[in-house]
Amino acid sequence: MTTTTNAEALRSLLPGDRTRNVADYAIDGTAPAIALRPQTRDEVVRVVAAANSAGLVLVPLGARTATALGRPLTRYDVALDTTGLARVVEYEPNDLTATIEAGMTLATFQETLAAHGQYLPADPPPSDNVTIGGLLATARPGAWRHHVPGQRDLVLGITAIQPDGTVTHSGGRVVKNVSGYDMHRMHTGALGAFGVIVEATFKLQPLPVSTRTLAIECESFESAADVAYRLWDLALPLRALSILAPGAAEVAGLPPRVQVLLECMGGDAVLARCEDAIRREAATSRAPHAGEVRPGSFVTLRALAGTSALTVLRLGVPSSQVAAATQFATERGYVAWGHLAAGSVLAVMPEANTIAESVRALRAYARERGGFLEIESAPATLRAEVDPFDTPERTLVTSLKRQFDPSGTLNRGRWQEDV
Amino acid sequence: MRNPFRRSVEQALDASRTALASDLIAALGEQNVLWRAEDLIGYEYDATIDRRRPDAVVFPSTTEQVSAAIVIANAFGVPIVPRGSGTGLAGGAVPIMGGVVVVLTRMNRIVEIDPRDRVAVIQPGVINLRLQDECAKYGLLYAPDPSSQRICTIGGNIATNSGGPHTLAHGSTVNHVLGIEVVLPDGRVTYLGSRVPDAPGIDLRGVFVGSEGTLGIVTSITVRLQRQPEAVRTMLAIFESIEIASEAVSAIISGGVIPVALEMLDQEIIRAVEPRLHVGYPLDAGAVLLIEVEGLRESVEADAQYVVTACREMGAREVRTAESEAERARLWEGRKGGIGAIGAISPNFYILDGVVPRTQLPKVMAEVMRLSAEAGFRCANIFHAGDGNLHPNIMFDELVPGATQKVLDLGGAIMRLCVDSGGSITGEHGVGLEKRSYMEWIFSAADLEAQQRIRDAWGTGERFNPCKILPTGHGCGAGHEAEIRQHLATPGVYV
Ligand SMILES: Cc1cc2nc3c(=O)[nH]c(=O)nc-3n(C[C@H](O)[C@H](O)[C@H](O)COP(=O)(O)OP(=O)(O)OC[C@H]3O[C@@H](n4cnc5c(N)ncnc54)[C@H](O)[C@@H]3O)c2cc1C
Repeated sequence: MTTTTNAEALRSLLPGDRTRNVADYAIDGTAPAIALRPQTRDEVVRVVAAANSAGLVLVPLGARTATALGRPLTRYDVALDTTGLARVVEYEPNDLTATIEAGMTLATFQETLAAHGQYLPADPPPSDNVTIGGLLATARPGAWRHHVPGQRDLVLGITAIQPDGTVTHSGGRVVKNVSGYDMHRMHTGALGAFGVIVEATFKLQPLPVSTRTLAIECESFESAADVAYRLWDLALPLRALSILAPGAAEVAGLPPRVQVLLECMGGDAVLARCEDAIRREAATSRAPHAGEVRPGSFVTLRALAGTSALTVLRLGVPSSQVAAATQFATERGYVAWGHLAAGSVLAVMPEANTIAESVRALRAYARERGGFLEIESAPATLRAEVDPFDTPERTLVTSLKRQFDPSGTLNRGRWQEDV
Repeated sequence: MRNPFRRSVEQALDASRTALASDLIAALGEQNVLWRAEDLIGYEYDATIDRRRPDAVVFPSTTEQVSAAIVIANAFGVPIVPRGSGTGLAGGAVPIMGGVVVVLTRMNRIVEIDPRDRVAVIQPGVINLRLQDECAKYGLLYAPDPSSQRICTIGGNIATNSGGPHTLAHGSTVNHVLGIEVVLPDGRVTYLGSRVPDAPGIDLRGVFVGSEGTLGIVTSITVRLQRQPEAVRTMLAIFESIEIASEAVSAIISGGVIPVALEMLDQEIIRAVEPRLHVGYPLDAGAVLLIEVEGLRESVEADAQYVVTACREMGAREVRTAESEAERARLWEGRKGGIGAIGAISPNFYILDGVVPRTQLPKVMAEVMRLSAEAGFRCANIFHAGDGNLHPNIMFDELVPGATQKVLDLGGAIMRLCVDSGGSITGEHGVGLEKRSYMEWIFSAADLEAQQRIRDAWGTGERFNPCKILPTGHGCGAGHEAEIRQHLATPGVYV
């Protein structure tokens, strides 16, 4: 039998209305043989198990915002759209925990939680339109990372469908739990290498009383580093503290100068204190401008980091190197900005202009400083030429993949050519 | 306590053990290897009672020596068991099948504290409190603070994913570990994670943390530090009963303010602690909550006020606020010395570790007290209430015939209660040897098989810290009851 007839056979496993238009599920220009959108966990199990036994390669997808992450797929037969699984399974506001299905968008989840004054503090690119499954599978940090705990820190348990259709759980729904191996950590950031995430439980946080976005204009990257560090050292209740190169500042709707952009959270007295600290800092550093800016600045940058027509690189560098790395990327033609606490610098450029040499140069720069570079989005050719992940330990990844997906049913090729 | 294996283990060294010892000595030096029977006794058990004598104990001081010890043990086909300070409460460091115990306490250097990057690089044998104290000199905080922090190692904390009072706000150990150097079960050295947060790729670091010494030996650790808060306020809320105090826990947290710590001490603990430590807990209270909030001066004021009001509304008799750093330290001293104090009032006690959703606490605590009373034991509770992480301590005298068995049964019943209330069998102490058979209460056969695959991928095999976590393994199944005995803590050892 050919791949197409095999794939066609999957269609008959589900009610007729589950079939989707394959063109909408193209990844790197390749459409799958079939696209299915199951409505229940049991339907997912049937599709995954059937794909596995037919030797097909299946790709679970959520909102499809991060399909250019990882190496190019080496084969792609079945698109499994998870957005049909979008129920709240259990939400106990007084426990500050919730279990939801993986196809729900973060936006819908946040709405449910906001009704009880709670939220999941995650700000992944490009927006809250990502699904919960995607949020976990990609585990991309945003501007809030390491100011508030993110999805990696707050996931308490995951239910996943293994390639052979077996349903497995790990963790639980209590906020503290060390029972057994944390398979939910293995799935988090694994781009669906080991199973299809169908359900997750999170520890939640109270919504901040209010937030304020503030910016300080700086003369140079060096002075921005000093300003940002002095503010960081004040232990203010920050949710973000970033250094923006002029190009990024412009995108964020600020004057095109080096800017320190931050977000504070708390009640009136706390916000007043933060504003006061920024005023003082502006006076000390003789900043030309400082004060409140529109809250959309961070939202815009977040969207930029999630724009699939761009090459998006994430450099990991020690906090002390964030300003310098932002400058380094800027000098090489990238629109760049960095988050101090997370040590992450985003560097974006139109796809067409990106060349492997410049990516390698940035990677070498990050490595020399004890860090790394991850390609978060780029043309397939580039991702084939330069390892998107830059991880030294490959043997364990390979053997985990062999254990959990011996026939290479899920996302084949994403991690290494052979897995 | 009698050890069923003792007699056989006390036989003279056989030829292969001599060969093992001499290879280890050749690789690590004579001063770093113990092999005479009388020298091995201290490494038969962890925070508990003797279990099984190892064939040898090694004290490496470099990663290469750790690797060499593993390679040698593998060549002899004997088990390897990593060990820190031996304060573990699940038997994780017990060499239940003999073999080589690798003690990491000589790798105790703080390699680097970088206040600008806010990271510290340390060797696994560094004591938790020492790292905290060193970081404090820079105004920085390493957040995980297990109650055993005066003696436990960071390596042990990584292996067990330790929590502590401040886990409520700051999370468990895994949330603070950036990168680890690990010697794998085949002796190969690798690095998982990075010095910088959120390294790309599969989160092998996250899988390793909490794996209880079954996936390798940690030899270097990079942790994330945070700024000390500007202001801290510590309160003691006094209640008539543990049930009322439990209701208050949920009320405080669901009201939108999460304290950084929210600890419960019941009457038994108060009566054990107060006469010894004089920290100011009222002897007639049914239970107290030790509550801490931190942040900017402005928010701390408001949060403390909120906590006081919430406690009063929930029926607190009185809420005291520590007025000085000395007073604050005293309140915490009572918490940290609590377990030790039980040792002074009971010949033996059994420390349990379970978790429930915190809204279930009132019901569960009432049931814990009922079950203990019914079984005829006093039960002292001192625990991380904010996280729903209970630690009932069952007091007994092992010399009373049948008492030990009754205590174990009671422990099982309390674990079952946690599971039936939507909780888990361990919040921070781990599964180790002790809770392997309870794993089936919370995981399906398929879940456990998937967990086994992680071990298979890492090459754990049957000899790398055998019989821990999973209820499988050749020769591991026998005598669960005997295994559990190691959990009966000797009183007063760990004050
Ligand atoms: C009075 C008392 C209070 C306690 N309070 C708490 C608490 O509040 N929170 C909490 O979480 N725990 C608590 N514990 C339990 C215990 O202290 C922790 O589990 C601690 O992390 C163990 O550290 P250790 O150095 O003693 O490790 P050990 O007991 O020596 O070993 C524990 C486990 O870690 C493994 N291990 C040790 N070192 C390494 C290494 N370098 N590489 C790989 N594996 C290794 C061992 O094989 C074993 O499985 C308490 C214990 C006592 C006695």
